[in-house]
Amino acid sequence: MKLWLGVCGLLLAANACAAEMQSKLDWLKTVAFASHQTDYSGVFVYQYGSHVETSRIVHVTEKDSEYEKLESMDGPKHEIIRHHGQVWLFGNHKMVQADSQQTKIRFPALLPDQLSTLSENYQVKEAGTGRVAGYNTQVILFQPKDNLRYSHKIWVHTDSGLLLKSEVLNDKNQVVEQYTFTQLKIGSEVDRSWIVSSNAMGATIKDKVKPSLNSTSKNVNSGWVADALPSGFKKTMEILRPMHGKHAPVLQMVFTDGLSAISIFIEPADSDEDDNEGLSSRGAVNLYHKVVNKTLLNVVGEVPSLTVMQVLDSVRYNGK
Amino acid sequence: MKHEISTLMDGELFEDETDILFDQIKRDPDAQRDWAVYHLIGDVLRQPDYIHQDIGAQVRERMQNEPVVLAPRGRLLKQKARMFALSAAASVLAVGVVAWMSLQINPEAAPLMAMKPSDIRTVNLQIQPRSNDYLMAHQEFSPSNDMNGGASYVRTVIYNAEEKPQ
Repeated sequence: MKLWLGVCGLLLAANACAAEMQSKLDWLKTVAFASHQTDYSGVFVYQYGSHVETSRIVHVTEKDSEYEKLESMDGPKHEIIRHHGQVWLFGNHKMVQADSQQTKIRFPALLPDQLSTLSENYQVKEAGTGRVAGYNTQVILFQPKDNLRYSHKIWVHTDSGLLLKSEVLNDKNQVVEQYTFTQLKIGSEVDRSWIVSSNAMGATIKDKVKPSLNSTSKNVNSGWVADALPSGFKKTMEILRPMHGKHAPVLQMVFTDGLSAISIFIEPADSDEDDNEGLSSRGAVNLYHKVVNKTLLNVVGEVPSLTVMQVLDSVRYNGK
Repeated sequence: MKHEISTLMDGELFEDETDILFDQIKRDPDAQRDWAVYHLIGDVLRQPDYIHQDIGAQVRERMQNEPVVLAPRGRLLKQKARMFALSAAASVLAVGVVAWMSLQINPEAAPLMAMKPSDIRTVNLQIQPRSNDYLMAHQEFSPSNDMNGGASYVRTVIYNAEEKPQ
């Protein structure tokens, strides 16, 4: 009888544990949902190292589609407008269509299997409550179980589910980058006047876009593989895409563990390329490029530099 | 003399003997060195966090020959470089102590981290604006879009500080 009770207890504990885990992961779903479905505008500060910049963001949803404008408030004026999988970049009075994905707008893209790999590779903790930009938040910490990824700490608005602050931390618990709202307005009073103008801009841009950018990205199975991806990174995308200033399309493979992504870009190397190898970074994003056998490899990801280097060095052609 | 110093350190001398011995130590540089060394041994055996030993001169001398490790690359790398410098200093200390204790240690093992600057490819400070397209292409598929919304695109806007509005 005692044994039976013990077993019962264990099972209950396991269940409770799973349920608890689930409730923490539910926060992520809430955040993903809120970030797409909520109208908001505000000012946030992005900081890494000694670099600080302030930006304004406006996000509105209309009839199942999202409009979003990101505007730099320091330095040269830059604007990024996103709508329906398209990205426009405005800077120096030039307009560039930076990216154009044929994928439909992706409402909450966090899939259940992504959430389960997430809990395999991160410890998820509720880390108290806090106040950000005048709103009450729940703090959630994702600690990786290896040193191939960063810790993520997020502050989620308890009412709307919006992410109001986030920190990326390295294995020494130092902040690699952080981003935090200093001012935020949630709801319908958000300014929409720019939407029309951006569409008009979009229309004018269409004439200026280089032909190569109009060609679409293709889903492919190229036969390239990377053997040393950290556990839990699953391939979500493999496309041949046109890119600015490139003669040939570039192969892009995207892998994600639910919180971070690693992209591998593969293209023929320019013969006049003098910069054969190098590591660079911006906040949590590390980029490592290397020319191997006349092939230029670029690995980009919100992962430590060790990881992008390890992944790049494991890329090989496996044949089709 | 050595024996007496040792006894003194164990606190086994009478007070008058102590005074006499201290006088002798003050005048005799060899005795002073013995005094310092015995304390160092004691410290090492007790494995404290810090060992009291004037190694400043040695460290300075070794640091002169130490190459500057890696090109400065933002604060992160500076911290790393500082760590290298510290670990170099620490290894000087460790080598000093261990060698003195006449234990065998491979001198090659300690300064592994300190490579000549020319051996290391200069690391780019920042992702260069010409890599913008890769960042942008990556960002579109990053789960951080689902978390931070478009705010994570802030990572992709890179411009030269010298860039002037036209």
